Amino acid sequence: MRNTLKSIFKDGKFRLGFGILVFLLLMIFLYPLFVPNPPLEIIGRGTFFPPGVYVSNLDSVSGAPIYSLTLADAEAKRLASKLSLEDRAEMKTYLLAVGVPEEQINIEDTAALLALWAEKYDPKLNVKGMIFAKLQYYRRLNDKLVSLLDSEGLILARETDGVLEKTGQVLPLDYVNIGEVSSVRVLPLGTDNFGRDVLTELVKATGVSLQIGLIAGSIATAIGLVLGLISGYVGGWLDDLIMFFTNLLIVIPSLIILILISYSISQSERGPTTIAIVIGLTSWVWTTKAVRAQVISLRNRDHVNLSKLSGHSTASIILRDILPYIASYVVMAFILQISSAILAEASLSILGLGPKTTLVPTLGLMMNWAMIYQAHILGKWWAYFPVIVVIALITFSMNLINTSLDQIFNPALRE
Amino acid sequence: MKRTMIVLSIVIVLSMILGACVQPTAAPTAAPVVEPTAAPVVEPTAAPVVEPTVAPTEAPAPTEAPVAEVKAGDTVLPRKETLYFNGQQWGSVVGWNPYSSSNNNAMAIAAQDSARVIMFETPYIYNMMDGKQYPLLADGDLVWNDAGTEITFKIKAAAKWNDGTPVTADDVAYTWASHIKYNTQFGAAGKPYIENIEAVDPATVVVKAKLGDDGKPVNSMIVQAYLSSNYVIQKAWTETLEARIGAETEKFLTDPAEDVAYSGPYGKFFADDSKVVYIRNDNYWGQDASMWGKLPAPKYLAHIIYKDNAAGTTALQAGEVDVSQQFNSNVQDFWLKDNLPISTYLPEPPYGIGASLPTAFFNLAVPGLDQVAVRKAIALAVDYDTIIANAMTNQSATFTQVPRSLMNPTPGEQALYDHEAVKDLQWAGNDIEGAKKLLDDAGIVDTNGDGNREYNGKELAFQALCPNGWSDWQAAMEVVAAAGAKIGINITTNFPEWAVYQTVVTNWPLQEGYDIFMMWSDGAGPTQPWSRTQHLMHSMFAETTNNWNGNYGGYKNPAADALIDEIPTIDDPEKIKANYTELVKIYLTDVPSFTLMYRPQSFHTVNESVWTNFPHEGDGTDPAVPPLDLTDGYSIAGLYNLTLVNP
Repeated sequence: MRNTLKSIFKDGKFRLGFGILVFLLLMIFLYPLFVPNPPLEIIGRGTFFPPGVYVSNLDSVSGAPIYSLTLADAEAKRLASKLSLEDRAEMKTYLLAVGVPEEQINIEDTAALLALWAEKYDPKLNVKGMIFAKLQYYRRLNDKLVSLLDSEGLILARETDGVLEKTGQVLPLDYVNIGEVSSVRVLPLGTDNFGRDVLTELVKATGVSLQIGLIAGSIATAIGLVLGLISGYVGGWLDDLIMFFTNLLIVIPSLIILILISYSISQSERGPTTIAIVIGLTSWVWTTKAVRAQVISLRNRDHVNLSKLSGHSTASIILRDILPYIASYVVMAFILQISSAILAEASLSILGLGPKTTLVPTLGLMMNWAMIYQAHILGKWWAYFPVIVVIALITFSMNLINTSLDQIFNPALRE
Repeated sequence: MKRTMIVLSIVIVLSMILGACVQPTAAPTAAPVVEPTAAPVVEPTAAPVVEPTVAPTEAPAPTEAPVAEVKAGDTVLPRKETLYFNGQQWGSVVGWNPYSSSNNNAMAIAAQDSARVIMFETPYIYNMMDGKQYPLLADGDLVWNDAGTEITFKIKAAAKWNDGTPVTADDVAYTWASHIKYNTQFGAAGKPYIENIEAVDPATVVVKAKLGDDGKPVNSMIVQAYLSSNYVIQKAWTETLEARIGAETEKFLTDPAEDVAYSGPYGKFFADDSKVVYIRNDNYWGQDASMWGKLPAPKYLAHIIYKDNAAGTTALQAGEVDVSQQFNSNVQDFWLKDNLPISTYLPEPPYGIGASLPTAFFNLAVPGLDQVAVRKAIALAVDYDTIIANAMTNQSATFTQVPRSLMNPTPGEQALYDHEAVKDLQWAGNDIEGAKKLLDDAGIVDTNGDGNREYNGKELAFQALCPNGWSDWQAAMEVVAAAGAKIGINITTNFPEWAVYQTVVTNWPLQEGYDIFMMWSDGAGPTQPWSRTQHLMHSMFAETTNNWNGNYGGYKNPAADALIDEIPTIDDPEKIKANYTELVKIYLTDVPSFTLMYRPQSFHTVNESVWTNFPHEGDGTDPAVPPLDLTDGYSIAGLYNLTLVNP
């Protein structure tokens, strides 16, 4: 046993696969300790906030200590963020359209450009031949340009009965230290269409999907193993009967059976466990076939015949003389069942036939909502790509573990 | 084995990535108006008939075709002569029969409050911007006689069918007679209120209202609305149809009517399961000075049949769609992030004019939900700002901007109730403490300590439902469910398929599990907000079958019924306002249902890559052209204002 384990862990592929799996498991268990937020809490008013560090605007102007930094490129950056080169070119187009001679326009000279703009731009003017969308663009641009060159910064004021009273000022040199702002939220993967923190949701979903895989895998393996053992060892009419059903199920793609069963269970009954059981109940056929084949080859071995002669019961022979010989195969089948069950959950959920949404997130449900809200078209990669990566990592690691185990246990493949 | 495993794992990883790129399966979001009969099986007779050439009456004027002539079925239409739509037509066209309501021919046939008038025309067209009905086939304003019992109007002398014959009063009268004779849904809807529609002479129509015992019309609003929501259909064609069907009267509604005569500016050019194209009738009567004075700008109106919203959005982004009537989430990204020449009616949120009120109904027969405290607590706790920001991506006014009532956000309706009088009853949502207090005061508390409240010893657990694939509604229901968790009421979501859903909610008693469910309520129209109020509260719709009107939850309140019934008979505006105020009070106190968001009548997003001068706020049109996709009611006027960006 020890030697086997040693040889397993020596294998590079196994170590990689196992490492990924352990990493995912650690994430599932450790992440909630550090970020205890409920995974389905809606925090964003709006959809698909991009990944980043979110700092409370109010707290940073009114609560945090102010530091003065004189950074050489600060003004240039500020200008660039409000007035890009494209914007300047567009301003030129507008100025030309309202009849300013080209030689008067210098888009390099910000101050002159802005002065000219302030003089010539009229939000009420319908420039001939200019489409409405463009006019709206200039209106928004004009709003941005207000106080662009202001070196005084912004004045904070409080309104009482319609009278503004100055309470503070934000200067161009003012900086705050993010660590000292009272409310900061890091959203490493942004938010989804409901305004939920994608990373927190993803970690929880990974856990749930692994659970689904584990339950479904156990059920499928258990059924497959029991039926395969009985069918292979006992043989006769029992074998015929079991094989009859197995063959029947084998010709129907299991995804179709899965879809039909899921569809017939109303969504309110469809919890993650129900889905796991359904997946488990539809994916045992190949295990049965394979186990049966292995058992048949073992059935007439000498040690089995010896046991028979010694008067051991059928159950005892199966458990003591046959099962140990196919155990390694069963473990590998189990691992594959887990990974295919996770994939099955994802495929079901994408079709809208997965577990109901409110209780817990699953990887498939996250993809489903991201697609309903067109994240893939709008380029909101953080809502679906990390989910794909996690699914790929899980199946990849399990398949790696499986192949490396196969290499160790299967003498035909042993190097 | 080893090799295959590696290959297999690569295949699985690849298939996952590919799988991620697959289009979503269920995408059409909740359309504001969905015909219950939409999407029937295409009848063989209605199968796309590819006409080798254009029918003579539809043929473009020969002088206008110096280059290669476009034939029906051509995949490429001249871009600068074609206005492309999306979000109207799902699935292929079944027929062209204006008597039927199951043509699945959304662009051509939609007899509704703002009737779609590109092909068939109504005597008047409704403008939701000012609430007025403007003459189309009719000549002169809509006026009642002094006794208030009948409307007389003349048909415009210029009005012609596409075959060149004049539109006459006989056509109007015969249309009504046929609606009654064949018991169409339009006839059935009008019959209780309209006594008869008669032709006095070839140009004069009299519409007689059905009178009550007091000698006044039963409902003058509905009589008046009939004239802007029901098409005038040619008598000669109707007679042809009758001759064709003979004794088989049931075929009157199922006939695909490929030969139908129409008076509108566009007719059929081509239709199959990938697109439907309408071509301008260059002899259209409306170019007469008595109507528009010119022809509408686009020669073709085309609607590609997209698989789902996502496909439609992509086409809009690519400039392949000019007018989009579909829910595009985060519509502002089109211009803010992608710098596309796309705009909406309003430049800032809510981007459109909210006209309809998607509403969550409570099933009042369910124990627990028969308690006002439970209903109101759920409604108080829901975070509407999140629904509006996340589900609707800000394409709705908030309930702080437009406090809840029975009215839509248009100024005309908002003026119909006393805002101060109901101020204390209106809620803006996310009031968890208020909701908890309400339940505690009503004695509905958590007695067994499991975190969930009980009523009469039974755990409060409900399902919140809406049709599958209607993404903004689904997201809204998720927010309702989240609110339940915060106040100790277990609410789970359930999204059945529309086919199942619609049968259940329109037929009392509701199936078990339909506790809280979403349906739309009426948009803008000449009978609003009266019809909407009636549909939301009147007991005549409570506990009925085949009920497409409203009050799906079975709410009954005689006081409300009396107030609603009284309104059409009142002349005094102050009294009408008092009645509406009282009704709003009752509605907000009893909470038989609650509005979740405001929604535009039609989504109206335009791409100015090819065409420009679409209606937008402050576009200087007088009367203002409503943002209804240039097809519905008075918005058709927008088709005459379009110009090319690069002529």
